[in-house]
Amino acid sequence: MLKDITLGQFFPGRSLLHRTDARIKIILLAVFLVFVLCAKSAAAFTFVAVCTAVLVIISAIPLKTIIKSLKPLMFVLIFTAVINLFFANGEDILLQWKFIKIYREGIENAIKMVVRLTCLVTGTSVLLTYTTSPLDLTDGIERLLTPLKHIGVPVHDFAMMMSIALRFIPTLIEETDKIISAQKARGADFESGNLFSRAKALIPILVPLFVSAYRRAFELAEAMECRCYRSGVGKTRMKVIKTRPADYIFLGISVVCCVGIFFLNQVVIPF
Amino acid sequence: MAFIQTEKLTYNYEGNLVPAVKEVSLSFEKGSYTAIIGHNGSGKSTLAKLLCGIFTPTGGKVFIDGMDSSDEEKQENIREKCGMVFQNPDNQIVSSVVEEDVAFAPENLGVEPKEIRKRVDDALAAVGMTEYAHHSAYKLSGGQKQRVAIAGILAMNPDCIVFDEATAMLDPAGRREISAAMNELNKRGITVITVTHHMNEAAMADRIVVMNKGEVAMDGTPREVFARVDELRSLSLAVPQVTELLYDLGLPEALHASEAADIIQKEIEKKCH
Repeated sequence: MLKDITLGQFFPGRSLLHRTDARIKIILLAVFLVFVLCAKSAAAFTFVAVCTAVLVIISAIPLKTIIKSLKPLMFVLIFTAVINLFFANGEDILLQWKFIKIYREGIENAIKMVVRLTCLVTGTSVLLTYTTSPLDLTDGIERLLTPLKHIGVPVHDFAMMMSIALRFIPTLIEETDKIISAQKARGADFESGNLFSRAKALIPILVPLFVSAYRRAFELAEAMECRCYRSGVGKTRMKVIKTRPADYIFLGISVVCCVGIFFLNQVVIPF
Repeated sequence: MAFIQTEKLTYNYEGNLVPAVKEVSLSFEKGSYTAIIGHNGSGKSTLAKLLCGIFTPTGGKVFIDGMDSSDEEKQENIREKCGMVFQNPDNQIVSSVVEEDVAFAPENLGVEPKEIRKRVDDALAAVGMTEYAHHSAYKLSGGQKQRVAIAGILAMNPDCIVFDEATAMLDPAGRREISAAMNELNKRGITVITVTHHMNEAAMADRIVVMNKGEVAMDGTPREVFARVDELRSLSLAVPQVTELLYDLGLPEALHASEAADIIQKEIEKKCH
């Protein structure tokens, strides 16, 4: 199951999204998040879904990967859908059975929440993590935050930390899988018992995981020092990032889409 | 002065009563190929880290290309001259993409972008990983990851690479890959120092240094060192299996299987006549 987590993984490629300047993509992501969270009407949601689909298509990431990345989210999706379905109040009762009442607004809210969450996760991963290599991402964040350097914020260190965190996600997931197997072999039980005892069963996984993560951190620090890391002083880059006109066009279109949402929110499609 | 020279080198981990490395005086010539062996806790890894300036000695001196490793200002130059490949390939790869990881060191050194590109391509070619340049590092096999780690060091254009049990976590195929890479690097004139538990790997070097309790127990060519089977056994070390076989048969020593085959054949012929 843990292998399905694709969060923070980078899929090398040559699509338009891969070649877009990381800085632009970070700004785009911010715009996109606002865009998704502002949608209210059905028309706006359809538009959000279409835009996300377009992003997936131009990223050239296989649909299978996208669906796989949503799998761990399934529980949250179903949970929010159910909550919205049964606990929303409204005027039109569609179904009534004993104490369960399902309102039209409930169904609407449930669908909207699912679309919103799916788009948020898919959009974030397609726009940034799947298509941006960690070093580009670090570089993008560093450049965007450069103004903060003047007030003493260690921008480079922050960016480096982030990229290392992303780099180690798959490694630590693999490690967690190994620890789970090892603990199972010693007779640990993760599947039965109530919520409390299950949570308690996680301790023998988390403790070795933390210990090993610390050890890895020390070793990595040593290896980085060996390769003359000095926290960004006088650092150059192999790939020089250039913002191309296409990047600005891309940004322009997204901003227009974002503003468009506010108008689409006014459009009411008869249900 | 030799390329790396130690003078009464001592290192004591904080809080330990007995130093991990005690008054070791060794010299390593430029372009040499040395294996350091010793059982666990013999101080061999500590020695390796001292030799490339990761640790600064608590006593004595290390000179790397004439630079004193205790001199803080020289540390960067020393690191550029003398790289280190660690045991766990996962813990020394900084970036998810192979070529970006290899570019990490020259980027830190402030090398021009075009020159970085060239160094990265050369380094990847040297370890035979060119076709994986755009791959995700975590999907590679152990041996491949370790080769990427070597390329990452090579991109600094070092004169010396120290391998700290770089093959310990690899399968036999991965071990062969890395041994071959070490040989290749040495042929290119890079000084190779390898800390290892595998006697067959040690036999490939030109010189073997045996460590025991932080001191140098033996120092010589593989042939000289492995001839002293009883002494090595008393240090709880093994010799290559063929060497041990011939020793137990009471025949002259050999380091490689083909050599041993010749000796045994001659012996059989002698017995038959």
